[in-house]
Amino acid sequence: MKMLLEVRDVKKTYRMGKVLVPALRGVSFDVKEGEFLTIFGPSGSGKSTLLHLMGCLDRPDEGEILIDGENVLKLSDDKLAELRLTKIGFVFQFFNLLPRLTALQNVELPLTIAGMHEKEAREKAEKTLKLVGLEARMNHRPFELSGGEQQRVAIARALINDPKIVLADEPTGNLDTKTGWEIVQLMKRLNEEKGQTFIVVTHDPHIAETAHRIVHLKDGVVEGIKEAPRGSTK
Amino acid sequence: MRTKKIFTIAWENLTQRKLRTSLTTLGVVIGITAIIGIASLGEGFRFEIKERMQQGFELDVLIVIPGSFTAALRPPFKPEEVESVRNVSGVKLVAPLITLPQAKINTTDGKKVNALTVGAVNFSEITQMISERFIPMDGEIPDDNENDTIVLGYKASFLNETTQVNVNENVTMQIEIKIPTPPYTLTINKTLRVAAILEKSGTPGITNFDYWAFIPLNTAIELLGEEAYNIILVKVSDVEQSEQVAKDIENVFDNPYSISILVPIAFMNQVDRILNIVQIFLIAIASISLLVAGVGIMNIMTVSVMERTREIGILKAIGAKSRTVLVMFLAEALLIGIIGGLIGILTGYGISFGLAYVLSSFIQPQQETGLQSPETQSIAISPIFSPQWTIIAFIFAVAICIIFGLYPARKAAKLNPVEALRYE
Repeated sequence: MKMLLEVRDVKKTYRMGKVLVPALRGVSFDVKEGEFLTIFGPSGSGKSTLLHLMGCLDRPDEGEILIDGENVLKLSDDKLAELRLTKIGFVFQFFNLLPRLTALQNVELPLTIAGMHEKEAREKAEKTLKLVGLEARMNHRPFELSGGEQQRVAIARALINDPKIVLADEPTGNLDTKTGWEIVQLMKRLNEEKGQTFIVVTHDPHIAETAHRIVHLKDGVVEGIKEAPRGSTK
Repeated sequence: MRTKKIFTIAWENLTQRKLRTSLTTLGVVIGITAIIGIASLGEGFRFEIKERMQQGFELDVLIVIPGSFTAALRPPFKPEEVESVRNVSGVKLVAPLITLPQAKINTTDGKKVNALTVGAVNFSEITQMISERFIPMDGEIPDDNENDTIVLGYKASFLNETTQVNVNENVTMQIEIKIPTPPYTLTINKTLRVAAILEKSGTPGITNFDYWAFIPLNTAIELLGEEAYNIILVKVSDVEQSEQVAKDIENVFDNPYSISILVPIAFMNQVDRILNIVQIFLIAIASISLLVAGVGIMNIMTVSVMERTREIGILKAIGAKSRTVLVMFLAEALLIGIIGGLIGILTGYGISFGLAYVLSSFIQPQQETGLQSPETQSIAISPIFSPQWTIIAFIFAVAICIIFGLYPARKAAKLNPVEALRYE
């Protein structure tokens, strides 16, 4: 299987006031195309930082990140934005929907940024919302939706541009167990049906276990990469 | 992102915070109202002054006098000199004038006629020279060869507030001539027929002849025994060339500095320039309020960027470029500028026209009487719609909003997406 994403000895240090906090201390692993990968670790292990770096939201201090063989460190901020727009979809713990926009408008947003025609964007957003099972609540605003529904909208938004990679940062962290599980199942289904690569950050071992592979992260280093038996069989 | 969509989103953001947006826009409205108000009233004032000056002066008529306006440095003009002025290029018409300031005019029954100055002219020349003013209200302007006639200015024809001299009535003109050797004063009485009474000139100015009386040139030359002119009126072919023609006329004389030429257009242009400077100065002061509005926009937008930090983070995370974020915020500033500018232009003209209307109802038109001096006429200023100032004010409003919106917009564009997403 082709390598879609390569992380090579990535280091990142944050400055908290006067103290330097090393978040990642040399992380390396690969992600294959079409893979469902979880990054598992306790809080403070550098999971989110790693996700931000893979999602081109931030740049590492050292090391390389290659997406489709291209070193993203060498790209300009505008090129990175374009990469986020076309190849990467984000799902956040706190959903991060724009509160004054309806579900449909939130899903449309990346297409709007890309400059797509309104009608075309609307059709595509409707289709994607159907895919996540929210066709009945398209014109509701986020505060009118439950947590699970909001996360479905967020997933639809992440998928709208048909990205190669969907990055999810604790997507179930703000949901009850049952709803959280439904969201994971949805992502698994999309991964299988559409062949998109999913990288999910979680501190929940049950969710981590659903993946093809689990990257264990602790104190900013990879402790181990494990093939998950359940992940490969759904 | 499509431009239309950017403006739609900007508009939605603005209408989401109605009170805040209206207050911010109000600042721009006040600034533009002040600018437009001052500009339109200023234009109106300039127009009024210009109009009055045009009525007071014949703009294409130069007035040539010997010496200066305060002292005669040289004797009156000789007929040859009048002829050489007539030959200057650009001169269309020349009318020399003899003034008889010492002349007294009485009716046959001894009542004093209110002519302040008696001028001797060639009637055909003066009629052509100031055709718009030298119009008989009563009677007819006599031919050049009709001696012993007199034409009275409108106000000169009034003996008192109610009695007027009649056309074809005879009046006596008394002049005193000083004979140098041996020194004595010769008093001459001349009976003249009132041929015409002129229409009221109405406005103040050099060529307001309301208090003048005119007699034929030949009669004056006969009485005075010499042909010496105190004033030469010169009509130019092209008003714009007035100043050049005036220079050429000066050079006709042996000593150019011994004569003075009044060039009305130059005078008027000068006054207009001064008024223009005053107007620009006032507008500049009014513009300060627009600057204050700009600071208000900067303040509100900075707060808005802080409040929307997370939203900016989301937009960047899903692929918005820094430039897109910048343009989104600038679009909001631009909309405030456009709306504030348009409303300001409307209220500016509304207020200045309203103000002019209210003020003009306070200024009652005065009762016109025959002996009223022209200076007491009321001046009503009506504002003028100036496309030029309207465009300048609008561009200024938009420019101020963009300039002051640039700082917060750049701040938004530069936000680090990871930090912005973490912002609570």
